[in-house]
Amino acid sequence: MKPDVGVVMQGFFGTLLGDVAPHLSAEYSMGHVGIMGLMLHMTGELHDRAADIRLAENSEMRSLFSHAAALVEDEALKQRLTSAAETLDASLRISVLEANNAELAALLIELQTHVEGSQASWAAGLEARIWDYLVATMERRELPFPSFG
Amino acid sequence: MEDLAPRVAAYLAHRMPAASNIEVSGVSRIHGGASRETFRLRASWEEGGTRVERALILRRDPVASLIETERDLEYNAYRAFHPTGLPVPEPLYLETDLKWLDRPFFVMEQIEGCAAGSAFNDDPYGAHAGKIGRQFWTHLGHISAADPQAIGFSANMEPVAPDECWARELEKWEKVIDEDELVPQPVARAAIRWLKRNPPPPTEKISVVHGDYRTGNFLFDGEGNIRAILDWEMCHLGDPLEDVAWAADPLWAFKQPERPGGMIAREEAFRLWEEASGMKIDPVRLRWWEIFNSLKGLAIWISAGKEYQTGANRDPVLAFSSWYCTDVHDRVLAKRLAALSKEARA
Repeated sequence: MKPDVGVVMQGFFGTLLGDVAPHLSAEYSMGHVGIMGLMLHMTGELHDRAADIRLAENSEMRSLFSHAAALVEDEALKQRLTSAAETLDASLRISVLEANNAELAALLIELQTHVEGSQASWAAGLEARIWDYLVATMERRELPFPSFG
Repeated sequence: MEDLAPRVAAYLAHRMPAASNIEVSGVSRIHGGASRETFRLRASWEEGGTRVERALILRRDPVASLIETERDLEYNAYRAFHPTGLPVPEPLYLETDLKWLDRPFFVMEQIEGCAAGSAFNDDPYGAHAGKIGRQFWTHLGHISAADPQAIGFSANMEPVAPDECWARELEKWEKVIDEDELVPQPVARAAIRWLKRNPPPPTEKISVVHGDYRTGNFLFDGEGNIRAILDWEMCHLGDPLEDVAWAADPLWAFKQPERPGGMIAREEAFRLWEEASGMKIDPVRLRWWEIFNSLKGLAIWISAGKEYQTGANRDPVLAFSSWYCTDVHDRVLAKRLAALSKEARA
């Protein structure tokens, strides 16, 4: 698709802020246009990396669950971790990746809660690995924000 | 767009029986403040043989909002603090009868010739950053030091014990996340668990808590004087360090972590607050409220996202805050909680 989605969104961002907003008389409408332009700017970049981010997250959570399943003693949780670790992303559509991501994230919350309450020898290491994943994923999801200073 | 001018004029005529020939003009909605519809307007009327003109602000409940709040809380805060000398607009009328403007609203003085700094600007105050910052933290100290009962703030406020402030606020915002999350929130859930496992010591004093005291929620003039502290819709009684931590939250002027809100250095800010409030900042309590406030932020942004997603409110600011502010607070909390987890396990 040409021009590239990112290029079009950046272009719209510039047009809205440079050409449209200055000609609006209502402060309220100008505010809306500014925010919509900013979100087009973000969308332009997110569009390119959205699938990659979700695919990577889903893969890392499955790997984490596979590792955790070998450690936790709770049989029911162990079984659910094993099952989740074996799931696949059947499509690269964002809606599919997001639905899978939400299911995996719900299990991650359950696992993290379980690990926090454990004094087993493996607990500290697993807790640290979960946090490493969460910090990395929040960094990976960082939205672009133009400087207005 | 609806024409509010004749309806506001009719309302003012009802509230000011001695006035005649009331005219309302220049009704213009102000952007932002998604918890209320805010309009500026000019009203003029004849009274006692002279023509009077006044610039006013009308704050009306929206159909759905960023935060569910009661407008009388905000109005009563203005009424309590206006006589104390704290810079707040003079509150004029609170109206809950729907016949006037379809939804409850209140009217207050408009502070003219001022601006509000954007919370998302790298440097919202420029050359006035120091002067504004010193006033900002001193005013917060005065809010914290105020006697809520003596100034009439406590009337109709839910009381809270010094050792229960944290639990009440945490319960309130956890419920918002429970009700409004559209996807599971691992970082928010981890924060909730940490906050419950590590309750803060009791507050030394039950204070007025503004609830949203930050860059963007006050007006300043061209000389760098703070003229009005606004947006009291989340005010309540509680631990004064809740406001200190919210004002210093890294989301505001995010690219200046050493100068909260893009104003003055954190150390100077806290010293000024201590001087004005007469209280000392307990670092353990402060840390708890810092983590709580990033969680409270997440709850607000999650709720905003639900409002937009469901179509209850299509104000773009809701979508923006749900994207951008969630992104920042998730990152801030993840880093902080990861470090605390490693400390606790060490």
